[in-house]
Amino acid sequence: MSLPNVEVIAGSLASGLLLGGSLSLIALGLSISLGVMRLVNLAHGELLVCGAYLSYFLLSYLGLDPILGLPLVGALVALVALPFHRLLIAPLAGKGMEAPMMTMFGVSIILQNLLLLAFSADTRNIEASYATQPLILGPVVVPKIYLIGFVVSVVLVWCVHLLVTCTAFGRELRASSADPGAAATLGVDVRRVHALTFSMGAACAAMGGVLIGTAFSFTPSTGATYLLISFAIVVLGGVGNIFGTLVAGVAMGVLQSIGAVVLGDGYRDLVGLVLFLLALALRPAGIVSARA
Amino acid sequence: MLYAEYEPTSDPEVAEMIRRNVSKIVVPTLLMALAIASQGFSDYALEIGFRLMVMITLAEAWNLLAGYGGLVSLGTASFVGIGAYALTGLVNNAHLPLYLAIPGAGLAAAMLALLVSRAVFRLRGLYFTVGTLALAEALRMFMVNYDGFGGASGLFLSQDPPGLYALFCIAIGLMAVTTLVITIATASRFSILLRAVRDDEDAAAQIGVKAFRIKLVAFVLASFLMGMAGALQGLKVGTVEPYGMFGIQWTVSVLSIVIIGGQGLRLGPVAGAFFVIALGEVLADYPALHLAITGVILIVVIRFAPKGLVGLARDIAARNKGEAK
Repeated sequence: MSLPNVEVIAGSLASGLLLGGSLSLIALGLSISLGVMRLVNLAHGELLVCGAYLSYFLLSYLGLDPILGLPLVGALVALVALPFHRLLIAPLAGKGMEAPMMTMFGVSIILQNLLLLAFSADTRNIEASYATQPLILGPVVVPKIYLIGFVVSVVLVWCVHLLVTCTAFGRELRASSADPGAAATLGVDVRRVHALTFSMGAACAAMGGVLIGTAFSFTPSTGATYLLISFAIVVLGGVGNIFGTLVAGVAMGVLQSIGAVVLGDGYRDLVGLVLFLLALALRPAGIVSARA
Repeated sequence: MLYAEYEPTSDPEVAEMIRRNVSKIVVPTLLMALAIASQGFSDYALEIGFRLMVMITLAEAWNLLAGYGGLVSLGTASFVGIGAYALTGLVNNAHLPLYLAIPGAGLAAAMLALLVSRAVFRLRGLYFTVGTLALAEALRMFMVNYDGFGGASGLFLSQDPPGLYALFCIAIGLMAVTTLVITIATASRFSILLRAVRDDEDAAAQIGVKAFRIKLVAFVLASFLMGMAGALQGLKVGTVEPYGMFGIQWTVSVLSIVIIGGQGLRLGPVAGAFFVIALGEVLADYPALHLAITGVILIVVIRFAPKGLVGLARDIAARNKGEAK
């Protein structure tokens, strides 16, 4: 095996680092619904793919730039997700964790196959004008979109952090997460908090999906891989730990790139999954211990 | 809780004994009769029958895990895939006869279960579920990328697959083994320990139940059966490739069958398999629509009939009996 040259290695490490930002954003959505609602959202990957399709069609038909359209996609998906929570998750409250988890698995099957019926299994990508432009920093060459995606992701993760730590809603959210019963006694509308948390998680997934769809390609069945990678990040970073999620996401991006350079591009996602299983076996509480 | 309640405890024990022993005689007799009668079956009937029996085997195994043990696995595809690949390897390279290669494939799947148990049993239910899903996806990606096992195009079985009738008879054999294993597992002390661990692991551990060991036995046993079912599928197709054998569709079908049929109930997997396969036949021309509809039914059942169709039927029967009195 011939070793790739330094530029290739530097470039892919930088790509990994930058893409790690988007992975963090996606994982954050999963992490907050797990942390606050104890919901294992197995449809998280499909929400991501929905976001990517939405952005794809907004660009094709309205010419809306994917990055500028990001808040719109986030808001639309969050809006659609609200009744989802009301109809599917809320009635199962108090029936343990399995029932909502399996319900979301059902949602994932439904969404994936509806997307397949509507848009076929064709591979698509969101073609922003800057998606293919290179960004040159000395020996490092990465597509410009990777840097944009990273910055946007970090900003969004920061926004979520501010929302959770500095607002009244954030206080209710933290209270509901720590002890739903006590929070309810003190006048917190736990169901409303859960509904908003669910739709915030969905919005994170959808916006992450736009970034992923701009940098890479996607199909209706892309979701599963990102669900699992996100889980790996949540486990590594600690459930409900926003900063830990960001660090773990970037680490995951870099490790995946190393895997892709050493073993070949096909192994990129496999590296993430193997890391996840290793993390489960060795350090289930997370590398950065949970704070929430 | 998604799990079904215990079987009614008010039943007199004697009736329970009779019921249990009747099933021990009736089920094998029925299976024998089926094997003899099936010589006259059409290819379509044999095809459906084969699929039904493979799915019932997988569903019974999954029910032991999820219904009795509370271990909701999304890794069915890993064990089906390993079974199919192991069978191909054992037949092609070790030249084992089928009656050894099929249990051999089961053993390979059981070994995998043993190997990953440490990782997937970490913490409780949730990590098991997601860990098993990760396992299945990781194995599929590995098989797609690694050329040693034929990569994405897979491997061919070096000998011709047996005819449809022979396959059907082997499937009957597998289902007989499964029925026996699951009956023993669910009617013995083991099932009580397993359900104790499912309901409250800490309490069970405090009264001296070795929770990890009990879960491991269930996991290995279920994987052994799933591996053999995968082997049969591999044998039937004559070629194993990652998308077919490690595909998520195995996980989806098996989970839907058990939850729709009735999780934790002895007859749940059988009823569920008939229902889901019948639905699949009705919608045979629209596979994506079929899966989407299965998803909808799944959600409705979880919400309104947590004990599945069998549980629903039992409740209705009990209500009617109550009204008759």
